Amino acid sequence: MKKIAIKSIIIIVAFSFFKNEVYAQVINWENISKQNMHLLHIDVGAEYGAIAGVGYHHLIPVKRFPLWIGGEFSVPFGNQLADDFKMRLGTQIRIVALNHFQFSARVQGIARRYHNQSVRLFNFGSDLAGTIGYYRKKWSISVESGFDKAIVTNFKHSEWYKKNIYDNVQDGWYEPATGGNFYYGLQGGFSMKKIDITLKAGKVLQQDFKSQPLLPFYGQVGANFRF
Amino acid sequence: MEKSFIIYLSFIVFSVFSFSCSRERYIDAPGNLVPKTVDQDSTLSSISINGALLHSEAFGPEDSTLIICIHGGPGGDYRYMLNCKTLATKGYRVVLYDQRGAGLSQRFPKNWYLSQGNDAMNKIFYDELKGIIAHYKTSATQKIILLGQSWGAMLATAYTGKYPNEIDGLIVAEPGGLKWDDVIDYISESRSFKLWGETLNDATYIDQFMTGKEDQHEILDYKAGLIGSVNAIVGDVGADLGNNAPSYVASRSGAVVNAASYELGQDIKPDFSAGIDNFFTKTLFIYSSNNKAYPESWAEKISSAYPNKEIFKAQGVGHSGMLDQVDFWTTTMEPKIISYIQSL
Repeated sequence: MKKIAIKSIIIIVAFSFFKNEVYAQVINWENISKQNMHLLHIDVGAEYGAIAGVGYHHLIPVKRFPLWIGGEFSVPFGNQLADDFKMRLGTQIRIVALNHFQFSARVQGIARRYHNQSVRLFNFGSDLAGTIGYYRKKWSISVESGFDKAIVTNFKHSEWYKKNIYDNVQDGWYEPATGGNFYYGLQGGFSMKKIDITLKAGKVLQQDFKSQPLLPFYGQVGANFRF
Repeated sequence: MEKSFIIYLSFIVFSVFSFSCSRERYIDAPGNLVPKTVDQDSTLSSISINGALLHSEAFGPEDSTLIICIHGGPGGDYRYMLNCKTLATKGYRVVLYDQRGAGLSQRFPKNWYLSQGNDAMNKIFYDELKGIIAHYKTSATQKIILLGQSWGAMLATAYTGKYPNEIDGLIVAEPGGLKWDDVIDYISESRSFKLWGETLNDATYIDQFMTGKEDQHEILDYKAGLIGSVNAIVGDVGADLGNNAPSYVASRSGAVVNAASYELGQDIKPDFSAGIDNFFTKTLFIYSSNNKAYPESWAEKISSAYPNKEIFKAQGVGHSGMLDQVDFWTTTMEPKIISYIQSL
């Protein structure tokens, strides 16, 4: 437990210094204002493993279509810090606002890395999602649905793999897309003066709508700091 | 501000889609990430058993005592058992084969396995082993020894219980369990990875990089191989075959047969010890010191099904180490097996 806490702190502190690599996920659209154009986010949760993440988003107050641009960075827990990671850059835009009901869309480019004894993978992908929800000043609840596509992946196998598993394995860039997962779920939050406490949880399905990943759900507890 | 946003967005879109111009290389193409199977590569040695093309080799004099090596899994392959082929130089006929859908043997769709219903264990595994014995047996008096490890030991036990009069010797190395509940307990124990640990995250994190449909074998096999390549709990360190290694390195995890077998197991709840109480020939029961999921108490519990047995603890090796570590094999395991066979 001590190990977990220390690692979480290191991750959060380390990446708080990189303003391009921070996190904002669950946004209360009712709480945006020109006085709070920056949003810093930290979270822990489950997304293809136990992860911790940080993020930063900047508000661009376009009249009817306010949008946040920014990025997020997350790493899974484990003994080796940052041998696996995921970085997302993109935008989240409100498209429709009708009373307290609002619809927003998110478009992000993804760069992610995976490493174990056998292989190092590096992938570029995309994450497209839509969220519809009910937003009040103090709280919000919404449903989101999205698709995470692994568009192109580079494989580099270890000597161990070539010596023990398959000596003729082909390294290099693989395309067309090597994977894709749909996800859908609920998200919500409670807002205080400058802070939102956010929650999200949902289900993940592979793109054939039948198979499931080994961890078929996601969940996240996070905090947004507006300034 | 809006202009800079457009530039920013353009950069993201360009980054995401700019790689679509390079040469295509498919993750599900045979031979790219996992080795080709015998139906895809005719240079591999194979035999045809019950409608399936199986990767198989045999060493030693054809008419001498037949030792059938049965690999783990379901879905593993016999490569890690290749040290056993030195028994051929001691006068035995050593047979190795990859089970249907496993290793370099021909794959079958998941539905094929599931469609076998309550008779699945017979049709998938027992009949196949019967076919292997029939293929290599040269006379009615030729002695048959089964040598199985892990799942292979469970299969060898079940087969011996079914045909006790056809088997002349049984060597089992760490059968996970023989009753279904014990099988599940052993699997849980041997894969009880820490929630926050590297091993579990290595297994789950890859699902965002690669996804495969139910019968996209190459993708599923590759992912299964990555997950199965390391398991510190059972004490395996990777096979050391010395001069017994073949000229090529080609190992494959049969993900589909593995998944189908567990699904069938949950439905059928097979008893792999059925009939073994009728096998009165001494069984050599082996377990290892380095497998944390297989302590002495578990070895005693599982071995209690065999009416006549000799229990041997392989010191300093893990779940597969009694067979896949050439030094241990040469100095300890091979002499022990020869001594056992000679005692029958």
